Amino acid sequence: MRTVIQRVLQGILVIAIVATATFVLVRLAPGDPFATALENSKLTPELRAQWRAAYGLDGNIGTQYVHWITALLRGDLGWSVSTGRPVSQLIAYALPNTLLLMGIALTISFALGMLLGAIQAARHNQIADHGIGVVTLIGGALPDFWLSLVVLLAGAYWWQLFPVGGASDPLLPIAASAGTVLLDRLNHLVLPVLTLVILIAAPVARQQRAALLDRLHAEWVRTATAKGVGPRTVFRRHAWRTALGPVVTLGGLALPALVGGAVFVEKVFAWPGMGDLAAGAIASRDYHLVVGCVMVGATMVVIGSTLADIVLQRLDPRSADAALDGARTSGG
Amino acid sequence: MHHPMPNLRLLRLLSLGFLAACDRGAASKPSAAAESPGGTVVISTPAEPDNLMPPITTAQAGKQVEDLVYQHLADVGPALNTTGDAGFTPSLALRWDWAADSLSIAFHLDSSAHWHDGRAVRAPDVAFTFALYTDPKTASPAATQLTNVDSVTVRDSLTAVVWYKRRMPTQFFDVVMQMFILPSHLLATTDRSTLASSPLATQPVGSGPFRVVRWIPAQVLELAADTTGGRRRAQLDRVVFTNAPDPVTAFTRVAAGEADVFEAVRPDKVAEVAKNPQLRLIVAPSLEYSYLGFNLLDPVTGKPHPIFGDRNVRRALTMATDRRSIVANIFDTLAVQARGPFTSAQSVADSALKPLPYNVDSANALLTAAGWVRGPDSLRRRNGKVFGFSILVTSTSVARMRAAVLLQEQFRLVGADVKIDATDFGAWLSRSKARKYDTLVGQWGQDAGPSNVRDSWMSAGAGKDGNNYSDYRSTAFDAQVDSGLAASETRVMKAHFAAAWHIIAEDAPAIWLAEPRRVMAVQSRIEVTGIRPDAWWAGIARWQIPAAKRIARDLPAPVAAR
Repeated sequence: MRTVIQRVLQGILVIAIVATATFVLVRLAPGDPFATALENSKLTPELRAQWRAAYGLDGNIGTQYVHWITALLRGDLGWSVSTGRPVSQLIAYALPNTLLLMGIALTISFALGMLLGAIQAARHNQIADHGIGVVTLIGGALPDFWLSLVVLLAGAYWWQLFPVGGASDPLLPIAASAGTVLLDRLNHLVLPVLTLVILIAAPVARQQRAALLDRLHAEWVRTATAKGVGPRTVFRRHAWRTALGPVVTLGGLALPALVGGAVFVEKVFAWPGMGDLAAGAIASRDYHLVVGCVMVGATMVVIGSTLADIVLQRLDPRSADAALDGARTSGG
Repeated sequence: MHHPMPNLRLLRLLSLGFLAACDRGAASKPSAAAESPGGTVVISTPAEPDNLMPPITTAQAGKQVEDLVYQHLADVGPALNTTGDAGFTPSLALRWDWAADSLSIAFHLDSSAHWHDGRAVRAPDVAFTFALYTDPKTASPAATQLTNVDSVTVRDSLTAVVWYKRRMPTQFFDVVMQMFILPSHLLATTDRSTLASSPLATQPVGSGPFRVVRWIPAQVLELAADTTGGRRRAQLDRVVFTNAPDPVTAFTRVAAGEADVFEAVRPDKVAEVAKNPQLRLIVAPSLEYSYLGFNLLDPVTGKPHPIFGDRNVRRALTMATDRRSIVANIFDTLAVQARGPFTSAQSVADSALKPLPYNVDSANALLTAAGWVRGPDSLRRRNGKVFGFSILVTSTSVARMRAAVLLQEQFRLVGADVKIDATDFGAWLSRSKARKYDTLVGQWGQDAGPSNVRDSWMSAGAGKDGNNYSDYRSTAFDAQVDSGLAASETRVMKAHFAAAWHIIAEDAPAIWLAEPRRVMAVQSRIEVTGIRPDAWWAGIARWQIPAAKRIARDLPAPVAAR
């Protein structure tokens, strides 16, 4: 329990530091949240000052920070200058979309990556191993923006199999049935998910293959084989289970993407998620929105790394002992 | 120096023919026989409205929607005349009467006009709108255009009278085009300092031809024709804006047939549109011009710039610039050379103005006379200092980056060592306002009216944070523009502006480069009409889709007809 409380407190501290650092850095970057409005030659300096005050962007950085913290304690993340909406509302729109896209993409990517890695390890130095190796090497090396454009053009423009982008058909009637909505959603998910799977599954497969090959030559695997345990059981119970560690770690690191989204993929496929929201906020120097997006991302990083630790402890009791030792040491 | 360019020559005849039509304000003639209303136009756009509250909207994406949802008292005509009321067409006001002394105008409202919630539009709404726009708490950018209005009174329920402080050529334009008339019964109790958070900022209730059905951020904004009143309804059933932040994706939606309109086709995509039988290319004038601005102040000391503080050096670099080849290289036929801080479509344009000629010999002579002497490495120096400077440009604009590269090469030929300083728009704007640059490639979008020049080139806009980035100050120029803006006769106004353009062209605080045309891709089943240089979308209510050409998405939507 004590360890859990410690982790929660550490997490809150990390989020606070990240949010504060972002708050300061985004204001130090050149640019202005009213850039578009400032291009309007009718906007007098007095009006600009009035607008800044209305959005809590007047005064020095310290004053702005106090205003922001005060509002945050009331649950108010501030107003987005570029969209004219509350930051919390924008995140509430974008977060489910990113969770859906990244949830499906990560699930498929890790399942596929682990399967491919296992096949490679089981067929070490055979044609399957080499073939999959080449494919995953290419998949891992492709730039995400380029791949997104190619998949978009091929799937939506040249062959016209799927929609060009967006999370749903803009002409879908509001009163459409649940089945129609579901099919439409799946239709729009195919291309961005495919792109993400190509990008994510490749490194997972390579990690899984390397870890499995390492375990297959371990002493306990040789012992199990010598005892007459069947090769499938040896592979599944003695090698694969213990080779999950690096993949779980990779999964923990990938979890923030659940909320952070994949910026380029979301942008190219016009997927209205967190990545696209954050990228747009940075480009338009929308201070409150940038900090809001970063806070959500930081929260997910904390949760992701904690979950990864818990899973690792379940898979490998030695890491649990290490954590316990750490807790004992820090607790005196 | 030439860049690879799309072969647009084959489009020239098509474009010119279309341009001529557009210049007269009619992109294409609708069918002679009136079509039954119906159909959907899907507009694919990379931008999204900042809000839908007209007094505080600054983004063009917001103004596009507001033009369809709200109404002006009258609309500017296709010729964009802004003096008097010539060419203006009735909108919320069916007619208007000028007082004998021209110090008041009585607007007679359409008795059948109503808000989308069913309430009638009445004269008090006009008076309320004026009060809202000019209230300092509202902080509306449009308020600066309404300073000549003394008050708006209600003569009767259908007549609002606008009283002016003094006669001005643009007094009619300023009132009818700066204000969208707003519903007083829905906004009377709203705190004017928090209009952006009003429910009407996302779900507006207007009196225009379309009403807002839904707006899902970053996805879709759907409008449906208002069919409840006596006014002639829009020819379309629906207008749907779909958002794709990446311009390539936004264009691809139209190319793939998922959307109908893309408003800013890049030159390298023009040939692709021309080859697609489902698409039509629409080329129309715009109100934008690009320029290379000189910083007349030293970015470090704030004193006159060591290079560009000298008028003859600015004139030399202007004469060293072959703008014809720059425009042709970047835009082919899709832009014309800019002649000054105005566009050809504006009523104050001066087609007789002669900019400084392209003459490299004269440029070299002027630079040598100014003390900048060529060295053995071909670079000029004065007192041991190299004739070198940078061009600040936004890296995200292909056209402006190309312009910077071409200018760099042309300046090199007269002995200048030029570096390109590419940055994102936010940093570009920040440095422009702080005057932290030598030269910059910029682009200004204009109103139909002439007043934009006040802030962008007059002394009023100079100084830190002003929009006169060059810090150009000329009392002679200011006087001519002020006189032009205050003139009561159109002829006098144009004469003053012509004199002002001549002064600024001779002073050369900038090299005016191009007036890019607006290049749109539109599905060919749509009959487009009324493309205006300042607002291509202004005539959407009159666009038609012939019944024989309608496709599945043109069918009435179950929810749109409520």
